[in-house]
Amino acid sequence: MRSNMLYSIEIKSLTKSFGDVTAVNNISLSVKNGEIFGFLGPNGAGKSTTIMILTTLLKPTSGQALISGFDVATNAKQVRQNIGYVQQETTVDEYLTGRENLLLQAKLNHIPKNEIDKRIDEILTLIELTDKQDKTVVTYSGGMRKRLDIAGGLLHRPKVLFLDEPTVGLDIQTRRKIWQYIKKIHDEFKMTIFLTTHYMEEADQLCDRIGIIDDGKIQVIDSPENLKKAMGNEVISIIFEEGENRDSFLSELEKIEFVNKINKDESKLTLFASNGTEVIPKIFQISSKLNIKITSISLTQPTLDDVFISYTGHEIRDDDSMFNQKREHAKMKRLRA
Amino acid sequence: MNTLMYDTYTIFWRELKRYKKSRSGVLIRLIQPAIWIIVIGNTFSGTQPLIQSVGFQGEYIEFMTPGVIILTAIFTSIFGGVNTLWDRRYGFMNKALTSPISRSAIALGKMSAISLISALQASLIIGIALAIGVNFPNPIMIIPIMGIVILFSLGFSGISVMVAATAKSQETFWGVINFLGMPLFMISPALFPLELLPDWLAMIAKLNPVTYTILLVREMMTGVSEGGIPIIISLGVLFTFVLVMAGIASYVFTREVNRPF
Repeated sequence: MRSNMLYSIEIKSLTKSFGDVTAVNNISLSVKNGEIFGFLGPNGAGKSTTIMILTTLLKPTSGQALISGFDVATNAKQVRQNIGYVQQETTVDEYLTGRENLLLQAKLNHIPKNEIDKRIDEILTLIELTDKQDKTVVTYSGGMRKRLDIAGGLLHRPKVLFLDEPTVGLDIQTRRKIWQYIKKIHDEFKMTIFLTTHYMEEADQLCDRIGIIDDGKIQVIDSPENLKKAMGNEVISIIFEEGENRDSFLSELEKIEFVNKINKDESKLTLFASNGTEVIPKIFQISSKLNIKITSISLTQPTLDDVFISYTGHEIRDDDSMFNQKREHAKMKRLRA
Repeated sequence: MNTLMYDTYTIFWRELKRYKKSRSGVLIRLIQPAIWIIVIGNTFSGTQPLIQSVGFQGEYIEFMTPGVIILTAIFTSIFGGVNTLWDRRYGFMNKALTSPISRSAIALGKMSAISLISALQASLIIGIALAIGVNFPNPIMIIPIMGIVILFSLGFSGISVMVAATAKSQETFWGVINFLGMPLFMISPALFPLELLPDWLAMIAKLNPVTYTILLVREMMTGVSEGGIPIIISLGVLFTFVLVMAGIASYVFTREVNRPF
């Protein structure tokens, strides 16, 4: 009966507070069976907290989350039987060989004894680590470790696989490689995948649908294509010199036909327009009328980056991730106090 | 019940695998007890008349060797839980916590692995003692001695696993462990007979499970029963200690790991 359900993950008004800090603020969403759903947001937005609730590591403050119909708070045991969880840090045991790591994973997840060897062989072939299986993980590269980690998460064929920042800290070639593996395992096992990421490209490449989360709240949920479409066809970025006519410049720009939305970031403006080539001349007319000096202007296709900016008002930044991680950590600690 | 045993064995297996691959520390950890036997054993050799006054006929070094065996067991097992902190820091714990195995199995698996490792270390110390000429009249007794050491270490590793699950940092862990370990060793007949301790210290020592373990091992090694405590009482205390610790440790461990790290 359970397998006939349409949704693998159902989140209803989920909230998690640590003291007076609300890490996850009243989010609701559903993920269909077999779907790859991406949770996109900067570090500290509440992605990891959500995943920790869904994987039964944290109890929600209020609201409800169901995995394959089981409540994460009250049916934790059944939830654990239905999920695989690949954490942000690589958690494979360095002292053990690749095969031993998978064996450990198999035992932790109660795979029947007579199935274990067959499954491990299968998965090693899939992630192309058969040759290295008897080497200790210390000798593995970062990408190989991640592959092994992901393999461990799906060895027991979970209905839902959680991937928390699957490619963080990997170089771009390795990252692409991991994406291929994720697609491959999804084709093979058709499980639901819930992943978090702060890489736009990752979300764009892998996900059927994306939820943008910022400050603990979901800003929007849709497919990458629809999100980009909603932005209009073109993005115009303008950098100008600050002057006294700034405000009237902005209000004039807003009046231009085909301009859907404007984001302001100090002296940088981002316009989302449906007909950019006609908009640009108008921008120049306005700027010369108001004596605004434009330093540069560019016209591009919208990316998920732009989508993110338009919903959150700021960019996803990688460079302050340390700061945000500390904030996240402090948040966790506060719970203990 | 079967699942609990299977899961405990899974964790036990993992801990031993890790231990096997990181053996370099084994010899280093033997140095300290070896120094105890050689230095303290010889420094206090002049106390032989004192030891004999309570009915022990051999040399001092033979009297204190069981004490050092248990010293090894105390410290191997009470330090043994420290990797719980690493497991929580580096994600293995979360991996185990999101799998269907029970929290108690994680604690019990760790404890049984630690106690086996502890017995290995203790057997090496017996080897060292024999090598430097400590008399061991009935070598077959090594089997029950190992049994006692395993049981005792199982109980003691419970303390370690519990402290490690509760402590949020290495510093806290080492602080608490050192605070507990040394007094538990000192307030026992490890180095001197119970009869020679001042009454109040002997009273405290009789509350210490270490005391009964040392008495058992000493009786098995030297054949001399000491302190007027029957074997059955000592065994009873030891078994109770192990059961209580296994229970408390699983409970505290489960409670602590369910909180975010």
